[in-house]
Amino acid sequence: MAFYDKIFETFGLTAWCGKGDESPMNMAQLLAQTRGEASAEASSGIPFPSLDNLNESCAAIPRTRDMTSGLEDAFLSVKDAMKVVLDPVTQPLSWALDGALWAFLATPWWILLPALFWLTWYVSRSVAVTVFVACSFLFLGFIDHLDAAIQTLSIIFVCTGLCVLFGVPIGILMAKSNTLQRAMIPLLDLLQTLPSFVYLIPLIFLFSVTESKLYGIAIIVYAIVPVIRLTDLGIRLVDKDVIEAANAYGMNARQKLLGVEIPLALPNIMAGVNQTIMMSLAMVVIASLVSAPGLGVLVLRGIRNLELGVGLVAGLGIVLLAVVLDRTTKAALARINVAHENG
Amino acid sequence: MFKISKKPLKIWAGLGCLVVMAFGSSNAQASECGEVSLMQADWGSAQIVTAVAKFLMEEGYECDATTVPLSTNPALASVSETGEPDILTEIWTNGAPAYEELVESGKIIPVTEVLSDGGVEGFFVPNYLLEAHPELATIEGIAANPDLVGNRFHNCPEGWTCLNVSTNLLKAGGLIDAGIENFVHGSGETLAASIAAAFENKEPWFGFYWAPTSVLGKYPMTLVDMGPHDPEKHACNITAECATPAMSAFPRSVVVTVLSKEFMAENADVSNLMAKLSFTNAQMGETLAWVEDNKASYEEGAVHFLTTYKGVWGAWLNDAARDKLSALLQ
Repeated sequence: MAFYDKIFETFGLTAWCGKGDESPMNMAQLLAQTRGEASAEASSGIPFPSLDNLNESCAAIPRTRDMTSGLEDAFLSVKDAMKVVLDPVTQPLSWALDGALWAFLATPWWILLPALFWLTWYVSRSVAVTVFVACSFLFLGFIDHLDAAIQTLSIIFVCTGLCVLFGVPIGILMAKSNTLQRAMIPLLDLLQTLPSFVYLIPLIFLFSVTESKLYGIAIIVYAIVPVIRLTDLGIRLVDKDVIEAANAYGMNARQKLLGVEIPLALPNIMAGVNQTIMMSLAMVVIASLVSAPGLGVLVLRGIRNLELGVGLVAGLGIVLLAVVLDRTTKAALARINVAHENG
Repeated sequence: MFKISKKPLKIWAGLGCLVVMAFGSSNAQASECGEVSLMQADWGSAQIVTAVAKFLMEEGYECDATTVPLSTNPALASVSETGEPDILTEIWTNGAPAYEELVESGKIIPVTEVLSDGGVEGFFVPNYLLEAHPELATIEGIAANPDLVGNRFHNCPEGWTCLNVSTNLLKAGGLIDAGIENFVHGSGETLAASIAAAFENKEPWFGFYWAPTSVLGKYPMTLVDMGPHDPEKHACNITAECATPAMSAFPRSVVVTVLSKEFMAENADVSNLMAKLSFTNAQMGETLAWVEDNKASYEEGAVHFLTTYKGVWGAWLNDAARDKLSALLQ
């Protein structure tokens, strides 16, 4: 006798409900049996009309576990079709990641490090930042963390590059269309909050876990959101008067975008790029859970072996990389702003 | 009316009092148990062990039991520094480098092998692959046919002891030379997911795994024959720097229940219960398979064990607990 039996009888649904398979005995029923209580539900008041509780009265109503296994079966049945579409689309990501990893690791350190320092100088034109970057990398090399740091750096370069490449256009499209913005905002919220493992494990069924695109997707899906949001914000915040002036000058949409809106939105876009880099680095350890190489592997080893020092030092290595990239991009942003103000 | 001789009765009563006093010295009543904290790991067999233990403690010994979600290494760290949780269920000693030191220091006391047959660790291939290609049953067969297993070995994540052992065994068996890629997984979850994915797509799979687990219950695989276990060779294989890796099967993995020193001293009743609480691989395997087939939760799996194996767990209890659970034991 379950609580909702009466309701189903009143509506004459007993025949439809039928007598399905017995659900497995749960702990509440066992406790009732042990303590010799007449009914497990006797003292619990009105149970919530959940699927499980309704199923006790009417076997035709599926239980929650049937719903979750139904989702699983649905996914497994479409995965072959999904694979045909998604595999070619994401294959370039695998090539880019594997290529970058190979390139960074194959280059000897006495070519790679000076190249990185020169790149920092070229982008930031700041002595202080270049010296800081040089000291950081030399320090990481000194404590035997250089290979891992270079692997992480190459992954971040590729993933952030792709985030900016796809995120800025999407942000621009969102800024131009209110409907698209309304549709995208919930999707962006989902991408930032859905736990990565929830979609990564099913992706293992689509791609092999040995493919680098798995951790590439993990990082990009999480880190692309700030650059999209801030590009959208930046372009929407461009002063209406300036747009009016541009229209008065007879600029078409493309000229307006490239000549007026993007330059004026650049501070916001660069802030978005900066945040994207930070979030990519935040994802390093989760990426290592799905077989990404780099500093994340060292962190996980430290955690699993209770070698607190190993985990801490590798973690601080990730922080150091983050600070290096942050200072470099901020210096580049300052240069763009300065050039902008003077020009 | 029949006459009861008073003398033996007095002797039994006296002995009874002594027993009660000995066991319940720090408690006013023998049945009062107080608060007990139990470690609850997230894999299948551990969840069932913890749920069964919690039920018996609460219903049979009137304890106030709380479960603490933890995995092996954090649990060992916690119990060695703070003495909590009181009971660590299912410590797989092969995967816990910190375990030996803690036992030697006396902070933790292993009381029984909770999986009495021990864990089986080693290299597995799926049954459907073995049926199609019986030569893959031995390491030599795999070395001769690396394509048939997909040219890849799915190895344990960084930080697990099996990583070094498996890598050395791959070298010793000539599998690396045969061109098999040693793929180190990032986590146990991706290792399990790769098995599930291979079974879904009926692809070859070859890698490390262990039993009894829900994964092996759901996806039947067979252990690859690596010859007998040799303790000396294995001792070298465990280290990453082993200069002479040699073939030796994995030893039986000892899986123990561990109590904190303080708990063992304070709570003799429950300590005795945990010392007897133990499952054979057949019992645990059947329970895990039942959970899979019925899409049940692990708590329901524990209920299944308690209702199916009454003779087994009845023997673990002391008399007072057996009385309280008499309604269930019939």
